[in-house]
Amino acid sequence: MSENLVQAITEMRETDALRIAEEQLEGARSPLEVLDDCRQAMEIVGERFEEGQCFVPELIMAGELLSRISEKAKPYIREEEGDQEAEHLATVVIGTVEGDIHDIGKDLVVFMLSVNGFDVVDLGVDVPVAEFVEAVKDSGASVVGLSGFLTLAYDPMKATVEALADAGLRDQVKVMIGGGQVDNHIRDYTGADAYGRDAQAAVKLAKQWVGAA
Amino acid sequence: MAESGNNEVIHDGKTAEQLCEERTKRILDASQLKEPDRIPIQLRTGYLLAEMGDISNQELHENHERAQELLEEAALTFQPDTISGVFGGPGPSKVLGDRMTKWPGYGLGPNGSFQFDEHEFMKAEDYDDFLADPADWAIRVYTPRAFEALEGLATLPPLGMWLYGYYNTMNYGTLLAPPVQSAFEAIAKAAQLVVESQQRGAESAKRLAKLGFPPVSLLGCLIEAPFDFMSDTLRGMRGIMLDIYRRPDKLLAAEEKVLEFQLQHAINFSKATGVKYAGIPLHRGSDAFMSLEQFETFYWPQLKEMMLRLVEEGITPFVLYEGHWEKRLDYLSDLPKGKTIGWFQASDIFEVKKAVGDTMCIVGGMPVSMLTSGPAERVLNYTKRVCEEVGDDGGFIMSTSIGELQGCDPELIKLWIDTTKEFGVY
Repeated sequence: MSENLVQAITEMRETDALRIAEEQLEGARSPLEVLDDCRQAMEIVGERFEEGQCFVPELIMAGELLSRISEKAKPYIREEEGDQEAEHLATVVIGTVEGDIHDIGKDLVVFMLSVNGFDVVDLGVDVPVAEFVEAVKDSGASVVGLSGFLTLAYDPMKATVEALADAGLRDQVKVMIGGGQVDNHIRDYTGADAYGRDAQAAVKLAKQWVGAA
Repeated sequence: MAESGNNEVIHDGKTAEQLCEERTKRILDASQLKEPDRIPIQLRTGYLLAEMGDISNQELHENHERAQELLEEAALTFQPDTISGVFGGPGPSKVLGDRMTKWPGYGLGPNGSFQFDEHEFMKAEDYDDFLADPADWAIRVYTPRAFEALEGLATLPPLGMWLYGYYNTMNYGTLLAPPVQSAFEAIAKAAQLVVESQQRGAESAKRLAKLGFPPVSLLGCLIEAPFDFMSDTLRGMRGIMLDIYRRPDKLLAAEEKVLEFQLQHAINFSKATGVKYAGIPLHRGSDAFMSLEQFETFYWPQLKEMMLRLVEEGITPFVLYEGHWEKRLDYLSDLPKGKTIGWFQASDIFEVKKAVGDTMCIVGGMPVSMLTSGPAERVLNYTKRVCEEVGDDGGFIMSTSIGELQGCDPELIKLWIDTTKEFGVY
């Protein structure tokens, strides 16, 4: 029975997925089990995305299904159950750097890191240098992701890497960069640890760095 | 062209007129897959001009004389075959209360860089109204949502009422309602700014011609792949991707509509101006965004039809293949030979040459990142390799990966251009 939900989600059968989830919740299946199916489905979609069998429409659809089913499950969750926390590999602070408001690439990376077990602090777009530094301090993150679509992003990326060093945090974090006009030349230019071409690469880098690869 | 009678030698032992002539020929030859005397070089500076002149990006947009001087300075410094400056300007957006763009000094700090701020201006539930009457929906629903100063248009009677001839004159009172009046005034002001900018453009071209730089615009009328048109200014990325699953038929029907009126516009534009090009920047169809199956359903057939019908009308599509297109190059090689131009941003330019070198003129080759980071030796060696491999047999215009050189090192730009001139000779 539970396999149906996983399948319905990974096959992007929206109506079926929502109906199955509803039936199961009403039929007294544990809401946490239902959510666990969703998590499994997200993992599968994430893997397929990494393998180039799934693309942006599927990630967005899967995300949409996850949030709609979570909404449905919420009223069924008893408080003590809700406190259970999933295990996290590590914390990643991520954002689109100052002056740049592009979010598509960053959002894909956030999604992929989340389904791969990372705790992601998403600072959004146009993020000032100091905000990255603060977020790393507050969260104890071990990975920082700097995103940017414009050539204008090069200097804020560089400034952010420098600011992390000035704050004495550079040894604590690995920095990855990506987006639009960013490549390995810009990794050298900014002093970041690595450049990732896409969300799959971001996951691979983060896993390597936290010893989960 | 240079003024007649001006025989002053200004560069390379040639007059401005001679330079314009040979540069034009070089570019047109390459664009038609022929082998010119050497690889032509396109330079699109973007905000680099502000850096060169030590002014803010906002001033570059707003101080037109200074911007022109800087463009001329860049032209003379780098001596490319064609040059253009910064894209557009914030004037019309400011007047219209545009909610989809941000400009230096308008939504961004004075040194910001022009960007689109994507919104879902068209909701999923709007498809039926859109499909029933796109023009009415555009004026009375979409435009008021996208432009603050045009909100008054929402109060107009349905545009179809204009078909009611005399009887509709009884509705003309609505046109004098203050919100509608102020919307009309904003449109008139924006239109005035656009006309002034076109006049400046023409003046700028004349001044550049006197310096030996021809007014070759390969961009022409700007239109979009039907899928991108639905995505960029209407549904937004999230909305359009959900449409693929939730309402594929409506999406396809909408694409058909926007294909037709864009084609009509591009053809009329070409007839009115004599410019035989149409610029098509591609956004959401690249390798990373959708599967090949989705590409074959929602993206490529409509785009291909657009290109083929432009070609039938004698218009050359100048297509900006943004992102990675390596997995789609086979589709591109199907296009009529020598009838389209492709500017490749992130795709492996050597793979592109192998796959479509016989099909289309390739533009690109130099990543802007390399002109930012250097070092010089890498720029030199890479440029040589691009000249040899991508320039082989002609049909290639050397360009940076995108038309924005903010942050690039002017010395590296010079090195790249000079190296192309040295190793790009046929």
